[in-house]
Amino acid sequence: MYIAGIDVGGTNTDAALIKDDVVVATGKVPTRHDDLVESTEAALETILAAYQGSAPLELHLSTTLSTNTIVEGRGDPTAVLAVPGPGMRIEELNLGFPVHILSGSVDHRGREVAGITAHEVQAALDAAQEAGMAALAIVGKFSHRNPTHELQIEALVKEATQKFRHITLGHRLSGRPNFPRRLATSYLNAGVAGQQALFVEMVKRLMIRGRNIGKVFLLKADGGTMTLDDSLARPVETILSGPAASLMGAQALTEHPEGNAVIVDIGGTTTDISVQVAGEPVFERQGAEIAGHKTLVPALFARSIGLGGDSEVRVISPKDGPSRLQIGPKRAGTPAALGGSKVTPTDAAVVLELARIGDVNRAREAIADLGAAMGLGIEAAAEAVIERFTQQLVQEIEDTYTYLESRPVYTISELLAPLDIRPRVLIGLGGPAEVFIPLAGKAMDLTWEVLPCYKEANAIGAAASRPTAAVTLHADTALGRVTVPEMDYMGEIRRAMLFDMKKARAEAMEWAARKGESLGITSLGDIAIMEEESFNMVRGFHTVGRIFMIRAQVRPEVRRITERGKGETLDADYQA
Amino acid sequence: MQTTKHKVGLLFFPAFDWAISPDHPEREERLLYTRDQIMEEGLLDVPGIEEFRPEVATDVQINRAHVCVPSVSNVITESHRIAAGGSIVAADLVLTGKVDRSFALLRPPGHHANRIVHGSRGFCTINNEAIMVEHIRHTYGKNLRIAIVDTDAHHADGTQDIFYNDPGILHISLHQDGRTLYPGTGFINERGGPAAYGQTINVPLPPGTGDEGLLYAVRNLVLPILEEFKPDLIINAAGQDNHYTDPLTNMNVTARGYAQLTELLSPDIVVLEGGYSIEGALPYVNAGLLLALAGLDYSAAREPDWSEDRVRQSPRVTETIKEIVGQLQEMWHTRQDVDLAEVFGNAPIFKRHRRIYYDTDNIMEEQVEEIRMCSSCSGWRSIYSGAAQGVSLGLGRTTMIAAVLVPWHACTKCRAEAEAKFQEAERSGRFRHVYLQDVERDIYRRS
Ligand SMILES: [Zn+2]
Ligand SMILES: [Zn+2]
Repeated sequence: MYIAGIDVGGTNTDAALIKDDVVVATGKVPTRHDDLVESTEAALETILAAYQGSAPLELHLSTTLSTNTIVEGRGDPTAVLAVPGPGMRIEELNLGFPVHILSGSVDHRGREVAGITAHEVQAALDAAQEAGMAALAIVGKFSHRNPTHELQIEALVKEATQKFRHITLGHRLSGRPNFPRRLATSYLNAGVAGQQALFVEMVKRLMIRGRNIGKVFLLKADGGTMTLDDSLARPVETILSGPAASLMGAQALTEHPEGNAVIVDIGGTTTDISVQVAGEPVFERQGAEIAGHKTLVPALFARSIGLGGDSEVRVISPKDGPSRLQIGPKRAGTPAALGGSKVTPTDAAVVLELARIGDVNRAREAIADLGAAMGLGIEAAAEAVIERFTQQLVQEIEDTYTYLESRPVYTISELLAPLDIRPRVLIGLGGPAEVFIPLAGKAMDLTWEVLPCYKEANAIGAAASRPTAAVTLHADTALGRVTVPEMDYMGEIRRAMLFDMKKARAEAMEWAARKGESLGITSLGDIAIMEEESFNMVRGFHTVGRIFMIRAQVRPEVRRITERGKGETLDADYQA
Repeated sequence: MQTTKHKVGLLFFPAFDWAISPDHPEREERLLYTRDQIMEEGLLDVPGIEEFRPEVATDVQINRAHVCVPSVSNVITESHRIAAGGSIVAADLVLTGKVDRSFALLRPPGHHANRIVHGSRGFCTINNEAIMVEHIRHTYGKNLRIAIVDTDAHHADGTQDIFYNDPGILHISLHQDGRTLYPGTGFINERGGPAAYGQTINVPLPPGTGDEGLLYAVRNLVLPILEEFKPDLIINAAGQDNHYTDPLTNMNVTARGYAQLTELLSPDIVVLEGGYSIEGALPYVNAGLLLALAGLDYSAAREPDWSEDRVRQSPRVTETIKEIVGQLQEMWHTRQDVDLAEVFGNAPIFKRHRRIYYDTDNIMEEQVEEIRMCSSCSGWRSIYSGAAQGVSLGLGRTTMIAAVLVPWHACTKCRAEAEAKFQEAERSGRFRHVYLQDVERDIYRRS
């Protein structure tokens, strides 16, 4: 089976074609922001010659569309109708967008405490339309436990007007708690939905231009894919898919897909550190952060640090201690070897012949100046830079693990016997990885692997990604109620007395399968329970019920690329 | 970018896998809805509120505040070590300047745990605040003056016991009148031992006390006393069972009242104590408290079933509170005029005899304590304690122990006498175990 992966980046659009587990072609064209279809098509064209199948080609697209729309603030003007109930005042949240507050409230168990008021909704709508709002987000506190208010408001809106291009309901985006994040996620989702709809139109046009293209999937921040149709309702999930694509590329290409590993992507300006535990990527605790908004969008964990091939190199001479080097966090600019004016780690690598790029003499000149400030010769100064870079990198990796290990836990067993997340393997990618990963591996006493530096690792990652989806089931047998917010479901538990963990798990798996079906997943074996908890509810010394929370997920898996085929590597031009 | 007035460290540890017993108020479910509320409010995303992970308290850290019979590991479980360890982290965060204030929102509680521990009483086994205080004095200076304000609905008898004769500590407990509630102590005449007379202050509040009465006592009594005592650190043992929905008590305090109390008191460290209205109170009280601690607007943190009528305080209750506060103000102002000989006698040793019931474990303890009157220090103490399972002595086998306590700032003479006493008691063969607790030297011996 053939799969084409295309990563639409800020500068370039990369393409890769994989057949089963082999990369058979890669290509690259400049991204045309004025005509994304045109450049996406051009990228596809570069690899199509290698496509010799008869079955339709599956296309996996990673785009920066939503990310850019949000970062540049170009989303549709969006009104937010919120039902906050008691608690923290919304004015304290620094959301960065205005919110219409409606009365009504739901408590932590999803019980309605106070209903909504129709005339308030109407007034908010009038104000929104007056202000020229094109999209709408409707968000209630605890709506993941009871979405009734959101649904009622939606019905009132639809009765009153059809003018909004898009309406997002908070509970459909995530089953996780966090009202401010639900607000932000819904606001962003509603704002980018318009652009996403245009994009989906374009992709569909691309599909019918006489090519044998079958299913089209979009890459998400969690490294999984979603269908085109699903992306119309949940476009916000496609944010930050570029970094996810690179990481999925690394997971597809590594020789160490099992077990614990740290994945380090060293670029020009920054280095991204990601973590794999027992073969699975680690996720952000609550969700992605974008343009200052904290969201509930599931995302791969990555710690980004200001350390890279083009980082600034400074000599720090404190009054009360010996001089030392400091690399980053600022970017110096183009390395001297490549025509820049400032010394960079890349120049040190060039001087020591660890990288063969640019003009060695220019690199030597830059390093000589640095050496003079340190009282060192050229080679010694270059070695000092490489050594310092490695030290800082190792420290940042260590800090990443310290941070992950200090993430709060709420049970005694987790506190006393924490999961072993420490890496056994150091996997590096990015231009400077060749230079620094072996050194860091040695310093950390880890097996290391530098992935051959495909220009198109991200496109390969996109091609190798598989669908992901999660559902959250919350069952409260005292109320006799089950909710699965992502599926818009709230129903009764029949025979609450007999509802136990086994039943809860089975029901969650069933919902996940139903969700999976819509994504083209047929095997139940791909579904796993990621989190579960249950509590006895005691009132007045009597057990009155149980609460269950189950999170079932279609596993974020990646196709293994076992043969690297004709990928074009960057060995020849070490580049950040 | 921090958006709160005060930077707050939160030690949240709900111990979702631990209960005293399945139906006990101190069970897995207790902080479930509090977690749900805190998570849903997004309080952990607020720049300026940061969550930290507890540590596990060591034997030495516990032995500084307690004499555990027969040993630390025999009377506690890991859950107790984590609650104490979390409190210690809460203190470290503030004292190292990482945060301005901290909140140890964890369980099980500790304020009914006395110095001598034979088992659990009032859901408590070891005293989280006391262990924290001794850690603070050990790590950050033995001269630190510390005030503990306990606002749980139950009298903080354990904390009172531990610091009864400690001149470095001011202990104020505001609680529902002991004539109407467990543990039945905490009257205004319990004022501290000879070396710290007047520094134990009990404010028994009548049943039906609401926000108005509690805040009246804080404004007119607690704050002026704190002003005068000038503590280096204020600890609030924040029980939440004064709430109008609490099933175990008869008070009328609201989430907003707790938040106002927190704002007025400006504590450096808050430690959760009791509070068993796990749905109706805790989610809102804890959210309000956290907001108030951070200096954020807490005016919207309110219970769903709150109404003015439901929590109104009766005029009679208001009158009673004014009387008690008036009496206590007078007692505070004249505490130095009291002739201690009249209170404690003229003998070189002051003796007190007590019976202590451990309701959670059904243990009865009989205790004789001897405090040496010393002009150079607060005086060494010996405690003889016998305990047996069963409601009255004689039902089970009685364990007799003796403990010799050397206080902070002990004079040479007192320390030498205490050590001699320890050896003598050891030789006598009368006791199952003899303990020596020398907190300043961090020496804890058991024969
Ligand atoms: Zn209490
Ligand atoms: Zn003395």
